[in-house]
Amino acid sequence: MKILVPIKRVADPDNANKVKVSGDGTQVTSEGLEWKMNPFDEWSLEAALRLTEDGAKKTRTGEVVLVTIGPKDAAQTVRTGLSMGAERGILVEANDQELDSNMVAQILKAIVDKEKPDLVVMGKQTVDGDSNVAGTVLAELLGWPLANYAMSLATDDDGKTLTVKRELDTGVSTIKVTGPAVITTSDRILKPESVKNGVTPADFKYPEAEGGRYASLKGIMAAKKKPIDEVTAASLGATPQKTLSYLKFELPAARSGQTTFVESVEELVQKLKSDAKVL
Amino acid sequence: MRDKVIRQAMDTGLRTLTRVATSEWVEERGLREPAQRLVQAGARTGVVAAGKLVEAVKKRSPAPKARAPQTPFDLSPTEDQQMILDMLKRVSNDLLLPMAEEGDESCLPPEDVLAVGADLGLATAAIPEALGGGGDRSPMTTALVAEALGRGDMGLALALLAPVGVVNTIVDQGTEEQRNTWLPPFNAETFTPAALALMESAPLSNPALPLTRARKKGSGYVLKGQKSAVPLISTARFFLVAAKLDDTTRLFRVERDAAGVTAEAAPLMGLRSADMGNLSLHEVSVEAGALLGGDKYDHARVLDLCRVALCALGVGQCQAVLDYVKEYVNDREAFGEPISHRQSVAFMVADMAIEIEGMRLLTWRAASRAAAGLDFAEQTYLARLLCAEKAMKVGTDGVQLLGGHGYIKDHPVERWYRHLRAVGVLEGALSA
Repeated sequence: MKILVPIKRVADPDNANKVKVSGDGTQVTSEGLEWKMNPFDEWSLEAALRLTEDGAKKTRTGEVVLVTIGPKDAAQTVRTGLSMGAERGILVEANDQELDSNMVAQILKAIVDKEKPDLVVMGKQTVDGDSNVAGTVLAELLGWPLANYAMSLATDDDGKTLTVKRELDTGVSTIKVTGPAVITTSDRILKPESVKNGVTPADFKYPEAEGGRYASLKGIMAAKKKPIDEVTAASLGATPQKTLSYLKFELPAARSGQTTFVESVEELVQKLKSDAKVL
Repeated sequence: MRDKVIRQAMDTGLRTLTRVATSEWVEERGLREPAQRLVQAGARTGVVAAGKLVEAVKKRSPAPKARAPQTPFDLSPTEDQQMILDMLKRVSNDLLLPMAEEGDESCLPPEDVLAVGADLGLATAAIPEALGGGGDRSPMTTALVAEALGRGDMGLALALLAPVGVVNTIVDQGTEEQRNTWLPPFNAETFTPAALALMESAPLSNPALPLTRARKKGSGYVLKGQKSAVPLISTARFFLVAAKLDDTTRLFRVERDAAGVTAEAAPLMGLRSADMGNLSLHEVSVEAGALLGGDKYDHARVLDLCRVALCALGVGQCQAVLDYVKEYVNDREAFGEPISHRQSVAFMVADMAIEIEGMRLLTWRAASRAAAGLDFAEQTYLARLLCAEKAMKVGTDGVQLLGGHGYIKDHPVERWYRHLRAVGVLEGALSA
């Protein structure tokens, strides 16, 4: 089984307070930020790795290809994914500020046309833009089935058909999907028994974890030797058009953090009218 | 300034001699002439001594020699090291911190921690590529790894790294045959416990001159003695034991099930989760091949690499204390404002940060020189002394800054305090 896993680097939430808006308000600046893989992408990579391995014997049975769209130094994020176990990477050179979800989906379509994977497994959204769009548009462009918000995946024919449990506001929807397909994953995909691939013993449990697997030291050293192809949208024959533009960014107003205690309901209503001015 | 000091020293000595030479007491005894000769000689000697000092100052230039002048002065980790650190930060936060209390209570490293340790392949990186390892043994990388894991919990970090210390020592000192046969088990899917046994149970014992003795018997050796503060005492498959053999100190591989070996848990004040204990060797026979390394075996180097690793572990744990108290003193309010607004508190936190950075830089310097193949003994002593003193101080101040909260187990700082006392007393439990 060959799986394409699109990943994006995002500002490390540990340093999120350093995010700034440029003076003219046209963009969010990224200078001096530390980057990490979008958590949803890390989890979808974990799902893809589980689909393409024997978890008990710790041997690889398929191929995971990572793709990221961004500046040259985004290769570091691909390297992180390779250290976790993915086979190779593709870096599509682009400037973060000049992209929107639609363009990302068009570039990914060009990659899919070239790579011809059995599945695309991607995070349901990134934690910076939070648009939750790219996966859906990609499926539309490819004319492939879409199974989004996946919390569990099961296949016993190497990904040709999958049973997917989707996590929805109204409950869990179980669907059967015939590949090739686009799957977007939620955080529950990390549960110890959420991925069954017919190769890993059915009773095998992955450890409880808050993120994707830890790269081994050897994996990190090996990642340096794995290939990362550098391409451009043009070299893929794609001419993505930007359809979304941001007019203005501004930081939310600082919160005072003040707590006022009231003695009675009457006083509360009074204060909501006079002080908070919300009634 | 330097000239002034030398001149003052000479002046004081000469003044004394001159006073003696001109005193009535000398005159009375007819000693004027010999005394004056002495003054002249004193002045001459003083000049020679001062000259020597000046030469020493000239030679001992404080600036380090540039190793790679084409690169800027840069303390950044390499790309590989950075990836390792990013990954270990997660391990520390998500695994070691939450599991530390359990390990401390049971005086054993939890199985889940050891399983992850095996998955990470901490020991694998140092093993030569021909034997299936990463083929990249670097004391600098080990120091960074120790610091990153120490930040999660020093006890669990020691448990995870004890076999790494064994591997590093075998790679560094072992013969070709020992490397080929002793290392592959550490390349396994499961955690392979093994430990260095360098410390003695006798008070004030010198790790360079252990009381444990080895004597030749037939083609092999017989060992006798007591080792203490040995990590992974309940599970280690074998130990590398330091023993005095004639006039030299050597390491011997001793299997845990060898006749005459008694390994028993003896939990200490801190580092309890590293399963610390005593190893008694009563007339233990080992084969000739159990003697680590050949003629070039360097025990001083083995000890120094252990000291570097211990310093790094301490730096990591100190950093955890600092991170924790910074949050605490900003959150905790007294007299209507956060206690960090009080200078006595703020100064303590600032001092901690300064000392920890100093410890870190000294440790990195020793480790980076070791990694570059340069002499690193002096740098190790500087790091060792500063870390021993300041790690304990950071531990104490951490507890102090939490007030009453520092003394209860709801906060991890009391545990870290107990761990950090070990930086002052421990030698040779892991190696860079």
